[in-house]
Amino acid sequence: MSACIWIHYARPRPHWYGLDEATRAARQASWREVAAASTQVGGTCLGTYHVRGQHDFETVTLWRFLDADAAFRHWAALTAAGYGECHAFANTIGLAGEPTG
Amino acid sequence: MTLLTDPTEVFTAADTAGSCVVAFLARRHPLPAGVFGRREQDAISDVLRALRGEGWKLSVRAMFDPRADHEPAAFDTGFAHAIDIAGAFEAPSIAAALEGTVRLERAGWSRRLATEWLLGPREFATVGGEGSGAGHPWGFLALWEWNDAWAAATPAERRAYDSECDVAFAGDLALDIAIAGRHRLDWASSWHHLGIWEAPSLAAIDDAMRGHERAADFKFTTSRHLIGRRRLLAELLAPDGEAA
Repeated sequence: MSACIWIHYARPRPHWYGLDEATRAARQASWREVAAASTQVGGTCLGTYHVRGQHDFETVTLWRFLDADAAFRHWAALTAAGYGECHAFANTIGLAGEPTG
Repeated sequence: MTLLTDPTEVFTAADTAGSCVVAFLARRHPLPAGVFGRREQDAISDVLRALRGEGWKLSVRAMFDPRADHEPAAFDTGFAHAIDIAGAFEAPSIAAALEGTVRLERAGWSRRLATEWLLGPREFATVGGEGSGAGHPWGFLALWEWNDAWAAATPAERRAYDSECDVAFAGDLALDIAIAGRHRLDWASSWHHLGIWEAPSLAAIDDAMRGHERAADFKFTTSRHLIGRRRLLAELLAPDGEAA
């Protein structure tokens, strides 16, 4: 199975700004645990970049996964940890390979 | 399967674990001579035949009736939308779905169509309408996302909302609309879900939407709806000026 790129755009939803600092920190810690678990099974986070200046979203995060199922499992774990309730998002999956026309 | 929300009275968790929708919203390119012809269409047909052999369903009808030998089909949407063709296949896995889009594009699909592919696992099983059910001529695709209001709502508020929407979905079935379950798109899209219907008429779809408005369906969702008439994919892909 070929490697996949997974592109994740995100911005906080309005109610995120109303959460207290401890709640935010606990949520962020649980999402870091998801990222650590995905890394342990072969995923690589290539970084998070700030794009608010020219985009509808605040950040874009790039991951490389061993396959598409790994990308799905990463996202399913994040949403199970409440990530999607705190962020609006747009995701894209891509399979490694050159265009052939 | 990870469900985004719990099953309801109308919808039950799918027992087709691993099935992955391959939905497509496509616009025809204006084609210079020789870019897309019989050769490319035959190559696409070869890929579709191979995919069927690998366990793909190549129409919405096949999701309801997987044992029958259905020709690949989609919905002709150009009369109502900037999208010319919308449809949905179902692949046996997420990996197969993603690779299948590349195989189709390489066979010539990308020469004919500019396509937004939407992939995601099946969450809920198909539900037949309360009538003849088979062979409805109209299709309806609903892409939707939970909005900020849903995200901020309490679990109790969401359960109450699901119950209200279930009344509307039961009303859809009473209109003899067949609902192809629900697929989860959010891992590779900005949309969270896809719902696909087969309907006896546009009037039935319009009546159904009024029911969803009465149930306040759209207070917690932002959605995009497409309607189209079912046609064989071979007809929809035919080179300009050629009948299939």
